[in-house]
Amino acid sequence: MLVKEKMKNKYLLAVTKDLLELKVKNLNFLFPIEGYSVGFQDVFKISEIKTEEAYLYINRTLDKESSSSLKEKLKNLSQNIVGIGFNDLGLISIAKELNLQVKLIYMNNHNTTNKASINDYLEYVDSVLISTDITEEEIKTILTEAKKPLVLPYFGMVEVMCSRRRLLTNFQTEFGLELKNEQVLFENISKNPFHIVENEYGTVFYKDTFLDYRNIEHEKIEFYYINGLNLTKEDIIKIINKEKIEKTESGFLNKKTYYRLKEMNECKK
Amino acid sequence: MQKVELLAPAGDIEKLKFAYLYGADAVYCSGKRFGLRANANNFTLEEIKEATKIAHDLNKKIYITVNIIFHEEELEGLEAYLLDLSEIGIDAIIASDIHVIKKAKSLNCSFEVHISTQASVLNAEAALFYKNLGVTRLVLAREASLSDIEDIKKKTGLELECFIHGAMCTSFSGRCVLSNYCTNRDSNRGGCAQICRWTFDYPESTIPFSMTPKDLNLVEYIEKMINVGVNSFKVEGRMRGIYYIATVILVYRRLIDKIKEKSLTKQEVKYYLSILNRCANRESTPQFINKLPTNEEQYFLGRDEVSNQDFLGMVLDYDEKTNIVTIEQRNYFEKGTEVEFFGPKIETFSYKVNKIYNEKMEEIEVANHPQMIIKLEIKQKVNKYDMMRLKVFDKQNFL
Repeated sequence: MLVKEKMKNKYLLAVTKDLLELKVKNLNFLFPIEGYSVGFQDVFKISEIKTEEAYLYINRTLDKESSSSLKEKLKNLSQNIVGIGFNDLGLISIAKELNLQVKLIYMNNHNTTNKASINDYLEYVDSVLISTDITEEEIKTILTEAKKPLVLPYFGMVEVMCSRRRLLTNFQTEFGLELKNEQVLFENISKNPFHIVENEYGTVFYKDTFLDYRNIEHEKIEFYYINGLNLTKEDIIKIINKEKIEKTESGFLNKKTYYRLKEMNECKK
Repeated sequence: MQKVELLAPAGDIEKLKFAYLYGADAVYCSGKRFGLRANANNFTLEEIKEATKIAHDLNKKIYITVNIIFHEEELEGLEAYLLDLSEIGIDAIIASDIHVIKKAKSLNCSFEVHISTQASVLNAEAALFYKNLGVTRLVLAREASLSDIEDIKKKTGLELECFIHGAMCTSFSGRCVLSNYCTNRDSNRGGCAQICRWTFDYPESTIPFSMTPKDLNLVEYIEKMINVGVNSFKVEGRMRGIYYIATVILVYRRLIDKIKEKSLTKQEVKYYLSILNRCANRESTPQFINKLPTNEEQYFLGRDEVSNQDFLGMVLDYDEKTNIVTIEQRNYFEKGTEVEFFGPKIETFSYKVNKIYNEKMEEIEVANHPQMIIKLEIKQKVNKYDMMRLKVFDKQNFL
């Protein structure tokens, strides 16, 4: 399966081991880093990453120990590492201290929900991943007003919760169940499915569907971000070719969230 | 020993007054907009003004939460709100959105900016990022260990505030939108439906998956936390009632004062723990302060608890000549009930109810109507707003 020739967008793919062989023009790999990422079973040592124009993915909320050891690991990065996608704002101080000459992308998905805050973050970083918690109209406003090109969540499972606790292990230990660090669970009332991935640094809940924002185009999108979790090489090609994939949803693109019960009830009427 | 602050939640003016009365040095509360408890009563600007006057008249502090993660529609009105708060003279806002911090700074607001636990700061580098934005205090993530706290203090010198008591999020604060997906209520703008307290089908088990953490309780770690540089000790619970606020704040007030006086005993710590657990009616643990929590720090199969009716009455008046105390009833009690009186200016003491009188001083058998006025004869002096509770623990048994 081939990517159609006309594609000119740049993609950033949170990569799994199965996806490493993908050869697609304008596709950069974002490597979840061993010891510093959560929500991925496939993690990579920085020293083992040989791919050209690679990005590191550091999405843990860092504590004293991990921020200190990370600092050591980021000294003397090889030239093929061109950027870091991160969640913890401590990375900004670390990058400054180490004088890292890499592109910094702030990827805290639930924190980048308006143009003003994104522009404030852009004073310290090169780009920002736009939130999946807002509507298409809000995304377009942000893209129009942003001071620098941004990263659009384009396709893939969305992190909806991240805990420092080992929630699967704790439950399985309590009831003597087989220890598994990946599981799909259904919330009992809404019947929403969640894909749960745990490692020693915590537990991530993903919505067990693929968020599909492929209808959004804008000149100020630097990267189209794809979370490669549970996707095959063929899926990635299909995604880029805008072909049909099963189990997709549009999240909150056309559905505002509420926070005051009164407003919500009025909306239901 | 450095000055430490006991910081209480306040969902309304009444709770705020009780928090100060029972020993809080500062309270935090929210306006009608921009706070993460969108469905609590919260304070109008007029009430914030009144609350600030109350606080400053008592030489105490008041912080206002402006800690939602803003969407486009909330940006409108933010500037005017910050200017209003500045004019009122509150002591600080608690914020997490970078735009709020930068906006407050650019407007030269009179108040300080504290970083909310919503920002989940756990390391010195993140703390330095916020310090460079001009914030003066960090409310650290509840996941912080003593070692994390010590390191942040050493490397930043910032004021540090830590939650010491109350409910916990399962998630890192700010990194959960389960509520958005299950109920369409935005957790990061104050609409959290607490999905982490709900259950999930687990494929290989008939037992539902659950992940509710037990409450946080750091009674045994306060001294160590003071020693590593924590400046403010924060109690969770803006939705809680006055009995809870009074009980919890008084316990921590006494605890901190005894630590300062170097007179705290292990037995007293055990006694305080019992009081706190009984009051919250939930189990509590130190959670992340000394280790990674395991299954022992979570609830499964629901919580084994019943709501208690320990809060029996509020003192309205005490006549020193007749030794008659006037009480507003809050829960059922009768002749023979063993009770305790507690309050900010008295040592907690026990009392057996031998006789109960109504407002006309006629003897009655039971106090069974909510908010009925009753009278008791008590030799020991009590004060207005002291509270009467069911006696469950005998302090002497802990000493």
